[in-house]
Amino acid sequence: MMLIAGTIPIKDLPLVAGRVKREGDTLVISGYRLPCAQGTGAMISAAQATTDYLKLAPPQVVVAGDIGEGGGSRQIYQYLIQNVARLSPKVLALHYCLPDMALARRLCRAVRECHPRPLLIADAGSMYAAKAAGLAREFDVFTPDATELAFLADGEATHPAYINRHLFCADITRVPRLIVAAYRQRSAARLLLVKGATDYIARHGEILATVAEPDVPELEAIGGTGDTITGLLSAFVACGLELHEAAIIAARVNRTAGKLARVTVASGVKQVISQFPAVFKEYLCRWSGVCSIKGGSYHE
Amino acid sequence: MQVSNGKVEERFEGGGIVLFSAVRQALDAHQVLRDAGYEARMVAPPPQLHKGCDLAVEIKLVEKPAIERLLGQKGVDYLSLGPLKAGTSQLLEIVTVTDFGRWLMVKAGNMKLTFAKDSGEIMNTSGGGCPDIPYLHAEMVGRSLTEAPRPRQIGFTLCALMLEQALLEGLRLYEGGSQR
Repeated sequence: MMLIAGTIPIKDLPLVAGRVKREGDTLVISGYRLPCAQGTGAMISAAQATTDYLKLAPPQVVVAGDIGEGGGSRQIYQYLIQNVARLSPKVLALHYCLPDMALARRLCRAVRECHPRPLLIADAGSMYAAKAAGLAREFDVFTPDATELAFLADGEATHPAYINRHLFCADITRVPRLIVAAYRQRSAARLLLVKGATDYIARHGEILATVAEPDVPELEAIGGTGDTITGLLSAFVACGLELHEAAIIAARVNRTAGKLARVTVASGVKQVISQFPAVFKEYLCRWSGVCSIKGGSYHE
Repeated sequence: MQVSNGKVEERFEGGGIVLFSAVRQALDAHQVLRDAGYEARMVAPPPQLHKGCDLAVEIKLVEKPAIERLLGQKGVDYLSLGPLKAGTSQLLEIVTVTDFGRWLMVKAGNMKLTFAKDSGEIMNTSGGGCPDIPYLHAEMVGRSLTEAPRPRQIGFTLCALMLEQALLEGLRLYEGGSQR
């Protein structure tokens, strides 16, 4: 089971847990209707589109309302600390949350006690907290952009707003050096998917693959298109693909969907997500090497 | 981590510190923050950061804009609010601009804001990882640079502060400023 956890920008939304389903442009979780928009909503939508296409069980999610004050973030952390062992997810993907080092530490302790241990994926504020608390090596995947990679590579920084200016100024050609620095600082997860003009997939400091095509530079400006990559990756991992394969295919799917949607910088992430089924139909078999679905799992 | 009455208690780790010129200000700030629901604790300033009085307040650095706003509203003066680690870099103030023809994308730290050159309409915001960022996206997209709510005023986190910098640079460019 895949479990996605993150905040939703609705101030009074209580903590909600359950399977997600999609109704038009809306996500429905335990009767609550939530927007498929930038942030956790986009990530869940991407994961749900993947499981829906593959006819697998939809993602289990834990969300809470938070517009930045931190209350919903703490509720999510507390819920996971108390329930992760019982829920026993195969994949736990953590997303938008107010970074909280102490709670991140407690969550990692709770995850260590799970048998089997879930694969841990972190993006956004959850990744910031994991790095700041020195917990990066307990995670299987981080999905930073180039600035966030510079944050990982800066041993002193506890937030991307406070990174060394020389690291921030690093252009895309210096991403490989930042990857090495992040691993040297012990601030990188087992696998990194660095999102950018070229996407880099790295493991233990070694670059395994890059994805640069199709080139759709407008995607960088569209809020939520990094979230969708993490959602796709999480779903592919939950389906049984190897981490690096899942990362490569997630990057390709996102780019190709952007191209099919003919996005401009004024597009919304929904336009990209709406193209995922078409991309899966056309390319997923070719890219993943697994081409049919029997009994709820992939088969070659 | 501390053990108290047989229970394991997690020590507060905020990563940020507020320095004051007088102990009374530090006590007032601590009370104001706790009353408003923020995690905060009184600490001695580390020697390498020491200025002002001998009492400081540790806060969550990521909440810097919200805490600055609250202390300002409550009239509590302070000397500085920044990272607890002495070796930490200064707050990023570098912005870069990408030209997309009819639109410009301004990037400040981990945040990006894209607006129409002719109308100043904010077309998109992206990046960031704090929970106020999707909220700010919903509040700002579709509004003009001149009329959109200011992230510094309605946001709470360092990501909002970065978005504020992108907005200010966007405004400067929209009003005829040249790219730096």
